[in-house]
Parts: sequence; C-alpha cells; structure tokens
Amino acid sequence: MSKKVVIPGDLISEERKKIGSHVFVEDGKIYSDSLGLANTDSPIASVVPLHGKYMPQIQDVIVGIVTQETFGGYIIAINSFYSSFVSKEFIRERLQKGAIVSGKIMSVNEINEAEVGHVHVLFGGEIIRTSPVKVPRMIGKNASMLEVLKKGTGANLMIGRNGWIWAKGGDIKLVVAAIRKIEKEAHLSDLTNKMEAFLKENKK
Amino acid sequence: MNVKEKEIEYVKNGKRVDGRKIDELRPIKIDVGVIDRADGSCYLEWGQNKIMAAVYGPREALPKHIQNPYRALVNYHYRMATFSVPDRKSPKPGRREMEISKVSGEALEKAIFLEKYPNTTIDVFVEILDSNAGTRVAGLAAASVALADAGIPMKDIVAAVGVGKIAGEVVLDLNKTEEDAPDAVDIPIAILPRTEEIVLLQMDGLLKLDEWKKALKMGIEGCKKVYELQKTALRKAYLEAEKEEKVKENAK
Amino acid sequence: MQSDASLELRTDRIREMITQGNRFDSRKLDEYRKIEIIKNISENAEGSARVKLGKTDVVAGVKLIVGTPYPDNPDEGTISIGAEFLPIASPFFEAGPPKIGETELARVVDRGIRESKCIDFKKLCITENEKVWIAFVDIYTINDDGNLFDASSIAALSALLEAKVPKIEDDKIVKGEYTGKLHLARKPLLCTTYKIGGKLVSDPTFVEAQGMDARFSVATTEDNYLTAFQKGGSGSFSPKEIDECIDLSFRHGKAIRNLL
Repeated sequence: MSKKVVIPGDLISEERKKIGSHVFVEDGKIYSDSLGLANTDSPIASVVPLHGKYMPQIQDVIVGIVTQETFGGYIIAINSFYSSFVSKEFIRERLQKGAIVSGKIMSVNEINEAEVGHVHVLFGGEIIRTSPVKVPRMIGKNASMLEVLKKGTGANLMIGRNGWIWAKGGDIKLVVAAIRKIEKEAHLSDLTNKMEAFLKENKK
Repeated sequence: MNVKEKEIEYVKNGKRVDGRKIDELRPIKIDVGVIDRADGSCYLEWGQNKIMAAVYGPREALPKHIQNPYRALVNYHYRMATFSVPDRKSPKPGRREMEISKVSGEALEKAIFLEKYPNTTIDVFVEILDSNAGTRVAGLAAASVALADAGIPMKDIVAAVGVGKIAGEVVLDLNKTEEDAPDAVDIPIAILPRTEEIVLLQMDGLLKLDEWKKALKMGIEGCKKVYELQKTALRKAYLEAEKEEKVKENAK
Repeated sequence: MQSDASLELRTDRIREMITQGNRFDSRKLDEYRKIEIIKNISENAEGSARVKLGKTDVVAGVKLIVGTPYPDNPDEGTISIGAEFLPIASPFFEAGPPKIGETELARVVDRGIRESKCIDFKKLCITENEKVWIAFVDIYTINDDGNLFDASSIAALSALLEAKVPKIEDDKIVKGEYTGKLHLARKPLLCTTYKIGGKLVSDPTFVEAQGMDARFSVATTEDNYLTAFQKGGSGSFSPKEIDECIDLSFRHGKAIRNLL
C-alpha cells in the first residue's frame, strides 16, 4: 500500500477511477481537495483529510448536547455547522439543557440540517472531543479498537460519528491519553495492537 | 530628503538595496496550526512582515438574511495592528483595509468549493503585526494555508506575490524602501498555481505594456516559489506527528 | 482544536469538579499555567511583546507619538492603553468597534499601570505647553483560552519595558533612531482570582471560566502597593475571600515579575 500526504490541488490519479471522498475531477484527472492522506494504489481515489467539521449523514450515531428547548422539540449541538433538531414526538422523557444524549441522524436536508431520532440520555460521564475524520480509527474494524479502548480503560464508551466521545467510569485520564494518541497516529498501520500495548503499559 | 532619495541606486549590477537579485523573494517562514481555538491558522513571516491568519467555519451565516442557500460566503478581514507601521495606525479600519479585504476574499472564493456549504460563512481573519511592504499578498498566502489547515475543500492553494518596477527595472517582491522610490510601481498578484488562473491583480503607477508582460511572467514565477513554500509547510504540519513517533521509536 | 470545548455547554460539571478541588489539566486551584514571554515581535513598534499563558496568547505593542499636553498638565506626557479582542482568537469574537469587554480590560490594565506611577509623565514632556510624548499601548488577542486580563497585563508591561523613545530633530521624529529606553520605576502586574463553584481559582482556562460566579483582579507592585482593583461577574466575595485574592495577587505577581 502506498500512501502519500496530499494538499488541495495535488494530483491523485491520471487514470479513471472510482471517485471517493475529498477528491475532484478536472480534465479527466483526479485531484485532492484537502490536506490529508491519499492511498494511491487503491481502486477508489479518495483522501482522508487531516481536519474537518462533521457533515451529518443518515444513520450516523452521534453524541450531542442539549442546548435549547423549543415549542416542538429540542436543539442539540452535534459539532456541525448547524445544531440538529429532535421532535418531542420521538422522545418520552423531558430533556434538560446541558444533558448529554446519544442519537441517530434520521434525515439531512439539502443544506445539511439534521434531524435526530432514537435519542437516549447518557447520565453522568464526560465528553471528549476528537476530529470527526479520526472517528473511524477510534472504532476500528468491527469495533476492534473500541473494544480495546473499553477493555484497556475500564470505561463505558460511546463514540459519536460527529467526533464527540462519551466516557463514564474507569480511567478517564487514560481514555483521553489514548484518544490523543490515536489522533496523532491515525495514519500509521497496526494501530490496534499498538494501542493494546499502550493501554496495558499505562494501566494503574 | 529629496536629494538623499535621488542618491539611492535601487538596482546596481543586478543587486537591489537589500542585496537581493531582481527576481529574488525575501525570506519566508510559515508555521501551520498556531491558534488553538481556530479551525485553521497560520503564522507567516515574509521579510519583516509578520502575519497571523485564522479561519473559522464553515459556520452558520448570521444574520439569516445574508445566507446564500446555494453556497458559502467568504468573509475576509484584513487588519493592521496599530504598532505594525512606522507611524501609529488608527485602530479604526480604514478604506485601504476594507478594499484589501474585499479583493482578497474574492481571490479565495475561486479556490474554495463553496457550493458544499450552503448558508454558511467561512470567516478568514488576517492580522498584520509588523509590516514592510507586501502585506496584502503575504496575508493572502497565509490565509490560504490556514484554509487548508481548517480542512476546507479547495481546488488549489492560492499563492500570491508582489511585483513592481523601480528605477525602470521590473523586480520581484518590493520592500518598503523600494516601494517608496519616486517612480515605483506595485502590482500585487495572486494565482491558482496549478492552472495559472489569476485571482487577484491590482496595480498603481505608470507602466508600459512590455514592462507589464515582463512583470506578469515574473509574478507567476514568484507565486510558484511561494506555492512551494506553502506546500512544504502544510506537508510538514501533517508529517510532524509521524516524525515524533519515529524519534520515540528510535530512542527505544 | 484539542480543547474540550463542548464542556462550555456543561457549566454544572465544571463547577462540580472545581468544588472537589480538581482541574481538567491537573493543576492546583492556585496554580498558573506555563508563562512564556517573547520580546520584540514587531520592529515597527517602539516596544512589543507576545505572552503565552498556557494556550492563551496575546500581543502588545507600544507606539510613541508626539501630541499636545492637557491644559491642566502642560508639562506631562501620557499613556493610553487599548485592547482589541481580535476575531482570530475565538469563535465568539467579532470584528467591529470596541465592545464592553474590551473596554473594561483596557481600562483595568491601564489603571494598574497608570496609578502605580511607574512612568514619570514629566519625563515625557518635549516642550512645555506644546509637545509631549503620548505612549499608546495596544493589546491584541491571538488565542483566547481564558484569563485574558492577566495575559494582557503581562504583555502590556513587557512591551513598555522594551519601549524606546524616538529621537527628535527639528520637531520631527527621526525614524529608526532612539534616545534611550522608556524608564519604568515599578513593575505593576494584574493578577485575577476567579470564584468558581465556591472556590478561589487562579488563571482559569476558557472552559473553567464558563463556570465562573465572579472574578477579582488586583494590580500589585514589587514594593507592596496595590494599584488597581476590579471585581467582575454577577457573584460576590466575602471580605475574607477578598483578602485571600489580594494575597494570591501579591504572590503570583512576584513570581511573574521574575520572568520579565
């Protein structure tokens, strides 16, 4: 596998390929639109950006914070350009301002406003922020990284696709250290095993 | 004073007042990701010019009536610190700052995939902490690096440079002494380097057509040099983490 | 991007932690973050400095300009301190005319320096009744991670300590030439104590400050003078707490002065 760091406007491929995320086509050539990492051997031309805000997608599981109660529902901050909305029809309990909730993106309109459903209140715990583009590494293949994190820290974890991670119990400081380490090394291979070793080493 | 000015030889044996060649840039230093709260940021030194640039957004455009349902708005603010110039600048934004903000924001609009973020603004703030001619192009170069750092999708990095004429010679990247020369002509220029599309171009002074042609060529070449430095800085910012890791592993 | 900014929305959690004596970055309640002072960040300024207080980052620059004296003090120059919360520093700062917070900050920093009499305004006189030096100190925020008051005070004082007085010839400033440094007789510094969750806290981060009830700023000098007070926020302090805040300001002022 050959990976390279690309910046906006860098050539990814002169051949025809399937178009993935964060690339664009001009005169038949494929270019990166972001600062990130491109896998040049892959049949799909795409770039994993270094930074970026959360763009809600249907079915995404998110962690949010209730910021406001309105007549028909609640406004929930989800680390996107817009806050999202949940209708009171879909929730039984009353939500408090400042409450942490998990939920699922039910719909996104043409200007990226999201509606959230399946809302559950997460009691207590902390929210730890990470970049949404790093979230897939935090979860890993078949949730392998998530399992390693849960086991290694003893914490109850909920990783939102929007880059907010809810953690409760266990060694929270170790959770934060582990997340920061994954952020830094997200582009390195064999990260799951590395993290397992890191957590074992740092366990109290 | 007038007598003194006439005595300056702006170009002598192909060398300029500060020892540079005709087509030589001043030293440029670029640091990426220097402002923690910002979505993207850049500190840039270009000769004596010292510039902080930060990007916030895309974020909801407010008040709502300015929102464009088809694309994001670019809101560029160029400002000079009161102490960044020899005579204290008034803290109120002046006409010059407003004009620079307008043309610089428009230059960036061409590079950004604005249609991806309807109803939002991308706020770009450029603060000049120290100046010695050429701050608008230096600010624009810093701003485009900050945009890339913020993860804003773009066609290319906007590169910018000043070209001009002093003592009848076309030169690259005028400094303050040169800009103050009696017949000086200043031409700020910004391009998308990959396609050489010109996205900012201004000029004031007396210029002949053949001089302009020479200046344009020199400007595009200059932009490409700046572009290389911008790219290097961004790649370095990405690779820093990897390098740190390697150092640690070697130490083991 | 690394700061847990979503905590801003959870002020109850912040207060709860502080009440238990804990901080997110494991500091003691009365402990400052690392302070870094970088001098001479702008050649066009007569004096300048950049101060990093943890992730909080501010710059200050001094320009000396020739002005006319006030009629009631015909042989005295003056200083003028301004502050601007630059929008590069925080998603909550906007470009535009000075707002109430900026004005308060500038005035408190100004009082701390002015009332300490550290600058002999008579020495800033060029010609009596006609020309005096006006020292403009302008403070700009680069990154707001809390406690802008103290960072601004350190930056303003550092810039003044660096400031040189331009040479005057035929009533005009000679560019690039100076007659010497601006003399400062004292080093006044402002240190602010925050009351969060019933506890007194030094140097809070932006997130911690979101849980604030009140704050109390005290400017002190090395020769044990108090030169300015400012209480802010809608909460209150007991007289005993005020005394504790003053003690903290003397102690931290002394420590920070050693870094100048």
